[in-house]
Amino acid sequence: MDATRDLVIMTRGLTKDYQMGSETVHALRGVDLEIRRNEYIAVMGPSGSGKSTLMNLIGCLDTPSGGEYVLNGQAVQDLDDDELARIRNREIGFVFQTFNLLPRASSLHNVELPLIYGGVGSAERRERAEEALRMVDLGDRMEHKPNELSGGQRQRVAIARALVNRPSILLADEPTGNLDSATSAEIMAVFEHLHKNSGQTIIMVTHEYDIAAHAERVITLRDGQIESLDADITVPHAVAQ
Amino acid sequence: MPLLEGLRLALSQIWAHKLKSFFSLVGVIIGITFLIAVITIVEGMNRYVREDFAGSIFGINTFTVVRRPSIQTGRTTEEQRRRYARNPRLTLHDVDVVRRSAPPGVTVTWDSDRGFDQVRYGERERKNIRVVGASEGYATVQGWEVARGRGLSPLDERRGLKVAVIGPDIAQRLFPAESPLGKEIRVGPYRFQVVGVFEKRGGLLGGIWDAAILLPFSAYDETLSRDPGKLDEISVKAPTEKAMNDAMSAVEGGLRADRRLRPARDNNFQLQTSSGLLSAWNKINNVLLTVLPGLVSIALVVGGIVIMNIMLVSVSQRTREIGLRKAVGARQSDVLVQFLAESSVLSLVGAGLGVGIGVGLARIVHALTPLPASTPLWSLGLAVALGVVVGLVSGVYPASRAARLDPIVALHAE
Repeated sequence: MDATRDLVIMTRGLTKDYQMGSETVHALRGVDLEIRRNEYIAVMGPSGSGKSTLMNLIGCLDTPSGGEYVLNGQAVQDLDDDELARIRNREIGFVFQTFNLLPRASSLHNVELPLIYGGVGSAERRERAEEALRMVDLGDRMEHKPNELSGGQRQRVAIARALVNRPSILLADEPTGNLDSATSAEIMAVFEHLHKNSGQTIIMVTHEYDIAAHAERVITLRDGQIESLDADITVPHAVAQ
Repeated sequence: MPLLEGLRLALSQIWAHKLKSFFSLVGVIIGITFLIAVITIVEGMNRYVREDFAGSIFGINTFTVVRRPSIQTGRTTEEQRRRYARNPRLTLHDVDVVRRSAPPGVTVTWDSDRGFDQVRYGERERKNIRVVGASEGYATVQGWEVARGRGLSPLDERRGLKVAVIGPDIAQRLFPAESPLGKEIRVGPYRFQVVGVFEKRGGLLGGIWDAAILLPFSAYDETLSRDPGKLDEISVKAPTEKAMNDAMSAVEGGLRADRRLRPARDNNFQLQTSSGLLSAWNKINNVLLTVLPGLVSIALVVGGIVIMNIMLVSVSQRTREIGLRKAVGARQSDVLVQFLAESSVLSLVGAGLGVGIGVGLARIVHALTPLPASTPLWSLGLAVALGVVVGLVSGVYPASRAARLDPIVALHAE
C-alpha cells in the first residue's frame, strides 16, 4: 500500500503565532504530523499546549503562520476564506463539546445544514440527512427539536451533521465534555462503530484518559510542539501536569 | 446559500420573535401607512375632482356666467367681496345678450336655485330638497339623465306648464309603491305634475341633486322664485375646449358692451370654468405631495435605524450560530445574504403591514366621509420597493459584521 496516498493529513513545520498586544505568542512551534485514512486518534495535552490551535488549523478554521498543511493531497495553508469554507464543508465534520445545534430547528434540519452550503438540492438533502440520522440510531427523532432530546441524543444529532457530507475526517473537540459517563460511553460506542464499519478517520481532542483510551493512537502536545506521536496513556503521569 | 433558503430562514427568524419583530417595525409601518393613506386619499380626491366634482358643477367644456364666484379659490379680500355684491343680478336680458354674442354651435342654458325646501305628496313629505328652475336643455348640459318619463321640453317653458322632473331620492320617498309619473306634488302652495325621474347619481355632490326638483324656468319664476325675473347662472356648453374659450371671450365682450363698461373698468360679472376649480385643487394636491416624501422619509429613516439596531443585537446573540454555519461551510457571502435577507424581509413585512393599515385607514375615511378612496397600484409597488430598500440599507452594516466574524471566535462566544 502506498503510504503517501493513504495519508489524510500531513503537516510539515506547522507554526502559528498570535499577536497579544505587543507580545507575540507562539502557539505552535513547528508541528510535523501524519495521519492515515481510518485512523482513530486522540489529541491530548495540558491547556496552553497548542492542541486547540492545532485543531483549528486541521479543521481549516484558521490558517498557519508558517509551514505546510496537506489535507487529502491538497495544500491548504495558502487558501483564502471562501476556499477554506469549501474545504470545511467537504472534508471536515465537526463535533463540538457544546453540540452547537440550531435550537429552533429539527434534528433533520440541523443535519441538513452542511448540505445547504454544499449546494445540495432539497430532496437529496432530506434523503441524506435521514440516512445520517439513522446511522446514529435517531431514525425516530428526525422532527424533534434539540430541547426535546437528551444530551446524548443531541450529540448524536451533531455527529450525524458532521457525517452527512461524507467528510474525510471527523474532528471532535471534547465530544463528551458535557455528558455524564453513561452517555459518554454511548457516544464513544458511536465513534467506535463509525471507525470500524464506515472506515471513518476520527481525530478527537480530550483531556479524559478513559475517553482517549478508546482511540488507537494518542498524540500529545506540549508547549506548541509534539511531545509524543504515540503516547502510552496507561501511565497517566507520563502525559500531563 | 441559495436566496430561497435565506428567505425561508428569515421568515422563520421573524416568526420566532413575533413581538420583537413587530416593535422593531413600528417606524417602517408608520411611514408606509402614512404614505399609502395619503396617496390613497389624494388619488381618490383627484379622481373625484376630475371625473365627478368638476363635471357635476360645471359639466365638461362648459363655462358659467354668474354675479359672483360660487367657489372662491385663494383668498378673497373684503374689497373684492364688496365689489361682487355691487354686481347686478343676472336677468333674462343677459341670456339674450349671451345667446347673441356666443358663436353658433354652443348651447346656452340658465337656471335659478331657490335653495332648500320641502315637497309633499298626500301625507308623505321630503325635507331638504333643492328646487331649481331651469331652461330647457339645462339637465342635458349638467349631464343628468332621465331614468323614467321625460325631461323638460320647450313646450313646458313656452306654455308655463307646472310640471316637474324629480330626483330619485324624492321619487323613492314620496312614491315607494307607485309610479310618480302623472302625480301632483306640492311645494309650498303650488302643485306640479311629475313628468320624469332622474337617474341616480350618488357621490359627494350628486347626492344633493338626487334630492332635487327641476321645474321649467317660466313656471318657477311665476311661482316659487324668491326674486322673479332674476337668474343665478347662465351656462354655456361648447363642443370643444377651444370653442369654449372662444365663446368665453365673445360672451365677455358682449356683456361688457351691453353693460356699457368702459375699457378701464373691471367686469361686473364673473365667468367661471371647471379648470379654475381644478387648479385650486391642484394647489392643495401639490402641497400634500411635496410634504409627503419628507414625512415618509423621516419615518423610514427612523424605522431603518431601529431595524439596524435589532439586526446588530440579533447578530451578537447569534454569534455562535454564525460560527457554526461557518464551520460547516458557510462562506462570507452566505452569511451576508442570510442577514440581508432577514433585514429585507423584516422591513418588507413592515411595509406590508403599513400597506394594510394605510388602505384600511383610507377605507374607514371613505366609509365615514364622502371622500373617495382609491389606492393606485404604483403606490403599492413604491411601498414594496421602499420596504426592500430600507431593509437592505439598514442590514448592510450588521450583515457585513456577521459575515466578517472569525469562526473560531464566534464558536467560542458566550
